[in-house]
Amino acid sequence: MMDSKYDVIIGLEIHVQTKTNSKMFCTCNSSYFQDEPNTHVCPVCLGLPGALPVPNKRAIEKCILMGLATNCDIDKEIHFDRKHYFYPDLPKGYQISQYGRPICSDGYVMIKSKEGKDVKIEIERIHQEEDVAKSTHHTEDGKPYSLIDYNKSGVALIEIVTKPCIRNAQDAKEYASKIRQLCRYLGISDADMEKGQMRCEPNISLQEKGKWKQEGREIFPVGDYKLNSKVEVKNIGSISAVEKSIEYEIERITKELEKGNTIEQQTRGWNADKNITEFQRSKETADDYRYMPEPDIPVIDISEEDVERIAKELVELPNEKAKRYLEIFNLSEYDIGVLTAKREVSEYFEKVVEELSRDITDLKGCAKLASNWITGTLFSISNTMNIEISEENIQIKDLVALIKTFKDNIITKNKAEELLRKALEEKKDLGNLLDEFKKTKEKSSDNLEETILEILKENEQAVNDFKGGKKESLGFLVGQVMQKTKGSADPNKVRSILEEKLNE
Amino acid sequence: MSKMDIKHTAELSRIRLTKEELKKFTPQMEQILDSVKVLKDVDTKNVQPMKQHLPFSELREDIAGESMKQKEVLSNVKHIANGMVKVYGEVFGGIEES
Repeated sequence: MMDSKYDVIIGLEIHVQTKTNSKMFCTCNSSYFQDEPNTHVCPVCLGLPGALPVPNKRAIEKCILMGLATNCDIDKEIHFDRKHYFYPDLPKGYQISQYGRPICSDGYVMIKSKEGKDVKIEIERIHQEEDVAKSTHHTEDGKPYSLIDYNKSGVALIEIVTKPCIRNAQDAKEYASKIRQLCRYLGISDADMEKGQMRCEPNISLQEKGKWKQEGREIFPVGDYKLNSKVEVKNIGSISAVEKSIEYEIERITKELEKGNTIEQQTRGWNADKNITEFQRSKETADDYRYMPEPDIPVIDISEEDVERIAKELVELPNEKAKRYLEIFNLSEYDIGVLTAKREVSEYFEKVVEELSRDITDLKGCAKLASNWITGTLFSISNTMNIEISEENIQIKDLVALIKTFKDNIITKNKAEELLRKALEEKKDLGNLLDEFKKTKEKSSDNLEETILEILKENEQAVNDFKGGKKESLGFLVGQVMQKTKGSADPNKVRSILEEKLNE
Repeated sequence: MSKMDIKHTAELSRIRLTKEELKKFTPQMEQILDSVKVLKDVDTKNVQPMKQHLPFSELREDIAGESMKQKEVLSNVKHIANGMVKVYGEVFGGIEES
């Protein structure tokens, strides 16, 4: 793309289902995953006459929390609007959303580009709305029909919209994964894309270099240049598909433009099996949603105290954490990335460092040790076994004991890793395994002197050689002892005892 | 309101109108809009917008309650398949799902 005569302009809309107990405007249970269809439904979800929406406080708190985490301005009033469209997934005939005044606006997040540069992704707005029903489409004797399950209808949903400020597919992917990470860090959502808890919809256009300018949320042509229409992509089921689908579109649109074709404004669907986007429908006219203020919900006043209270839920976010890890622990960028990716892992890591530093004064050394064990051994085992790094799976005190035993040269790295693997794979207590190891080791070290005397007796020739000045014989004798103890003895210790005995 | 407006409004509501209907409804709709137009003549310059305000703290707490039984949910439904609402036909205009 380096020599392309086009600039790529990408905006991203992300929908996130908020993790709440009840739905956005009624008390139906919002955990519907894999439940019987149409069992989490009430008159409000169905839009039956007389049913009234009652906003969920927790859901709005989480929306505000997302705004605070992305440096947004928080509005002092919440206004809901009706967005009308007629489709079976929306029995009321409108979705309750926000139009003119989103709760959060003008924010940003920082991401790292492929080249390692800091890139600011500007967020135009974050607003609160409700999810719609799930519909699947089928045919019967050539006749089309849809099946609708209203369990999802009314689940709290937030929409996060960027300005058209993203310039390549890689940055779009980084941004989407940053949003997912924030959602998980703050407990706003599990943001599992496969379960539809997070949905990304990029819009992409290509414009000739120097022929366009961006003002706020809009792109304007320069001179008499005619802007190319944008293409929206849907059905993206994973973070990597965000990148792949955009790359595909950039290539497709470039080819079309090179052929002299005009780009029709359209919605395309990502096909993950074929790794292509497919035409869904054209958008000749602007969507006509006939927004109007929602008359059933009063204006909600948010005080500064409310926002301050919600802000207390803001934990240290990944970017700040990474900065701190660099400053006080001096770890590598790679290690920091791995340790801060998940809040649970970073908390686990910090506890291990804290425990280690009780006995080891060098804080950076402790961090390095903890980081090596967690990002190395523990990660590789937990990845292959597909389990979480948590206190439940490996107790922090046991891991710390293991690391200390290793540092004191009582256990080799291989043996320590073997114990760790055994503890996780066979669900055994690491503390017990370590105790057993130490006992066997002590027992064998009691026997070590005896073993050495035996070896000396068995290898009279080597002993005489050594005494006659052939110092290499010592190595041979050490090897014999190690063989007899099946590798459990400490070779340095064996060597020093042997030297002592030989020089007597 | 022109014929195009009525046609567009009908399409947004997924209603098909014949040419005759369009001809018949257009003046009727114009009449309705005309009679509502008197509202526009009222001077509201010094009138505060009338919308109730609610403090944030008084919003509903996030506690899940009971839902309807599946049988109740589907009691008004014409076609049912596997506990789901069955809707025949392609919804014309193909409007997107959000």
